[in-house]
Amino acid sequence: MNASLSDLQKKFQDRLLKGETAIDAHLTDGGPFMKAYDHAYKARLVEILTEEFEGLHTLLGDEQFFSTLSEYVDAFPSTEKSARWLGRHLPGWLKSSERWGQQPVVASMAAFEWMIGLAFDAPDAKLIGVAEIGKVPPEAWPMLTFTFHPALNTVELDFDVSAFYQAAKAEEDPDGPPVAYEQPVTWAAWRDPEAMIVTYRPLDLDEAMALKAAREGQTFDGICEIVADHTDADEAAVRAAGLLRIWVESGWVIGLDAEGMSW
Amino acid sequence: MALEGFGLGLRPQHFPDILGDDPDATAGVDWFEIISENFINVGGPPLRNMMLVRERFPMVMHGVSLSIGSTDPLDMDYLAGLKALADLVEPELISDHLCWTGVHGLNMHDLLPLPMTEETVEHVAGRVRQVQDYLGRQFMLENASTYVTFEEDEMTEWAFLSAICERADCNILLDVNNIYVSGFNHGFSTDAYLNGVPAECIKQIHLAGHEHNGDYIVDTHDEPVPDYVLALYEKAIDRFGMVPTMIERDANIPPFAELVRELQGVRRIVEERRTMVLA
Ligand SMILES: [Fe+2]
Repeated sequence: MNASLSDLQKKFQDRLLKGETAIDAHLTDGGPFMKAYDHAYKARLVEILTEEFEGLHTLLGDEQFFSTLSEYVDAFPSTEKSARWLGRHLPGWLKSSERWGQQPVVASMAAFEWMIGLAFDAPDAKLIGVAEIGKVPPEAWPMLTFTFHPALNTVELDFDVSAFYQAAKAEEDPDGPPVAYEQPVTWAAWRDPEAMIVTYRPLDLDEAMALKAAREGQTFDGICEIVADHTDADEAAVRAAGLLRIWVESGWVIGLDAEGMSW
Repeated sequence: MALEGFGLGLRPQHFPDILGDDPDATAGVDWFEIISENFINVGGPPLRNMMLVRERFPMVMHGVSLSIGSTDPLDMDYLAGLKALADLVEPELISDHLCWTGVHGLNMHDLLPLPMTEETVEHVAGRVRQVQDYLGRQFMLENASTYVTFEEDEMTEWAFLSAICERADCNILLDVNNIYVSGFNHGFSTDAYLNGVPAECIKQIHLAGHEHNGDYIVDTHDEPVPDYVLALYEKAIDRFGMVPTMIERDANIPPFAELVRELQGVRRIVEERRTMVLA
């Protein structure tokens, strides 16, 4: 036996991922305890995901939950350095999967939980206060753009899963199943800057669209135009300014810029 | 300042005890070890609490994902994160395992065994040097528990570990439990292991518990350190002197006070040993 390091690693990994046995001939005595590695791989990944998706676990029950996670782990071998990110693809995969694609409540729950996890431990960043908005000169406003805190995240949900999620987290019986929305609703989750507690709320349609545009780098003028589609044209600027104030007060905004203008 | 005394692995469920009002809660705990990956590119409560602990205690950083033995290129994004964390935490020591965790861009999230060959020694030593150059400081490798060995092996595990440390000019985090576990699984002499590693390179010791499955042992870190691992630890300190020592507990995690008591037991062993030697 004289296989190279890279050859042995490829064969070893193929056994863990696909159950292939080419490595066995290279193991001393055929590797009688290889099962310790075989079992560890999937079990560990599923265990980590279980901690991240308690609401989904309650929603699906043990059997469906674990078989779904097992399918997911097979579909998405980890490319993450930290196991923290293993669930990254789960909401999107559920939404498009053959098994759960027709039951959007499942993807809604996973997306909601993932968003809350992101809000909990996203990197810290220095917020701007309302006073800094007051300092922006009038000529800068039209081209003003915003940078948002990494802990702020949004998801579009087909079901209102929040009450069910809270009950599952508290290990209480939910009052009932999550309720379907007539139209998808955007939720935002963020971290309260002082208490460092995760907070979340649904957004009105105009706020959702304005926030989406603002996070993509849209100017204040552009945001006013979006808001104008939902209100009287002459009230749009007031509504947009009001939204901005709420965002700043909530601890969502970390930067203002107007094409390099300084004030 | 060099690391001294006895430590524990920092676990989130113990933050309230460590950061609470009772200073006796941490009596006999000289330092903490963090899992590096848990604090790379994160903020919020986990980072804030860890840094509050850091204000009061020396710390060491212990990684699980460097994959020093992999034939994939070193992950420079990961190393950048590790370096940024080290700049923040200013740890006394930084370590990871002598293992690999995946190839072809994948991570098995497990500490996988390396064939103990001259090719691997050369490969790993070169990468440790790269890591040390990048971090601007010495690095430590920990011996992992293993459940298989390879037909390709050309040397013992202690010769393998020693050769890498010599060639890379790095240090060793000696896990006494892992020596016991691997020794049991592969039938090697744990005494020969202790005698076969360079004493001057051993800068930290891990103790832990494990799961006996009859014909093999799995390194689960879910039980107190068993007496026969402590007996091997006594031999280790007889040979290496007092090396900063800690208990790792990663599953079935007990109340903080229980770990503190267990650590005090380890301290007593060292102190009794020392009195014996002096007498
Ligand atoms: Fe260890």
